[in-house]
Amino acid sequence: MSFTGTVKALLAGLPSTLFILIVSFILSSIIGLFVAWLASQSDKFSRGLAKVYTGLSRGTPPLLMLLLAYYELPKILQFVGINANDWSKYFFAIFGLSVGFGGYMGEVFRSAFESVDRSQFEAAYSVGMERKDVFKEIILPQLFVIALPNIQNMFLSFLKATSLVYVIGIADMYQDATSLANVHQGVFQLQIFLVLGVIYWLITVVFDYLFKLYIKKHDYI
Amino acid sequence: MPLLQIKNLKKKFDKKNILKGVDLTINKGEVIVIIGPSGSGKTTLLKNINFLEQPTSGEMNFKGHLINLQKLNKQNELLLRRHTAMVFQNYSLFKNKTALENITEGLIYGKKMDKNKANQIALKELNAVNLSDKKDSYPAQLSGGQQQRIGIARATALDPDLILFDEPTSALDPELVGTVIDDIDNLANKGQTMIVVTHLMSFAKRIGTKILFFEDGQIKDSGTPDKIFNHPDNKRVEEFLSAIAQDK
Repeated sequence: MSFTGTVKALLAGLPSTLFILIVSFILSSIIGLFVAWLASQSDKFSRGLAKVYTGLSRGTPPLLMLLLAYYELPKILQFVGINANDWSKYFFAIFGLSVGFGGYMGEVFRSAFESVDRSQFEAAYSVGMERKDVFKEIILPQLFVIALPNIQNMFLSFLKATSLVYVIGIADMYQDATSLANVHQGVFQLQIFLVLGVIYWLITVVFDYLFKLYIKKHDYI
Repeated sequence: MPLLQIKNLKKKFDKKNILKGVDLTINKGEVIVIIGPSGSGKTTLLKNINFLEQPTSGEMNFKGHLINLQKLNKQNELLLRRHTAMVFQNYSLFKNKTALENITEGLIYGKKMDKNKANQIALKELNAVNLSDKKDSYPAQLSGGQQQRIGIARATALDPDLILFDEPTSALDPELVGTVIDDIDNLANKGQTMIVVTHLMSFAKRIGTKILFFEDGQIKDSGTPDKIFNHPDNKRVEEFLSAIAQDK
């Protein structure tokens, strides 16, 4: 078994890995922003809801979230009259990871929101801006930059968590490595998984570099 | 008719009375300077005037609009904020915006002006404070003095009826105070109505048409600079002024 052949075989699953990574990361960020917003509300119900979700999301393994999404979500949807039996496995993978990591992202955004200088709100209100514009123009961009180092960490954790989608039969890089090892009766298992490890590491190096470039560009805050 | 008239303004934090019934009247072109010890409620008073903090009770008449301070609504808030401006002690420039954008934000989102016109006005205001070469700089790239002068440009660009200055020089290095004072002097000379909180007594004496001595959430004495600095009614004013003089 050649080295290039192994790399080629593993990279066949890269588009799946990247697709699941990017879409579920965006969705979990949206969930996280919403949860952070709920956590910042003055009413106890909203704050309680945010707390319960964050606790569940952070307190359960992402693998369990994926399995629940794949096996139980169709039953719940069936109960409300939606037939999800033919839906793509990608939907359930993305759903499980997004919901599973939404609590972490919520905490990332909540802590960043609390780090935005309160005087920024006052200054924005003092020039006659309305609440929605204050958030859009002043607070969210600052919150995002403050949160970037934590977002970077979460992104890399996410990348590694995408390898769990093999449990619901999606052909990502990890699934490709498992199949390849099985084809050779496990003889080259160590080499194959070492190559897989190097590929994951190289992807993190690339994303790490991109994040650092972006953070450097925004270090004026 | 006065530009702004406040009657019996009260503010409570938890159960503590911070403002204990403030009456204040300011006419167009007047410069009211508020002096007094730290922690007396001067900043709270300014923030209650433009509703950055919600007053507990009182009445306000702004340009003929009667406002019950107990029942503030969004319209009242926007009315005040879109006809006033504030310069903050710690500058409070928008950290994610350039110097130019710091000035245009209020024009675009507060005054609903189009971007080109807002840019023109912002450039003119930056010119007025001799900082047009810094238009693309972010606050973190500017000195304290430059930030405060952009804070002043941000306020004047709005063409407000009233500017509130909250100790505009107290966070500055001593050698940077002069340029900021000059900018405020220029505004006073142009007839801008202002309320200025300051600890600089020579500046207060020179710029103020009326001085208020504020202590313990109340106006304890008020009058012309000559009266307050030379013949105050309240003995505490003398004590305060002599304590400040000893500090120098």
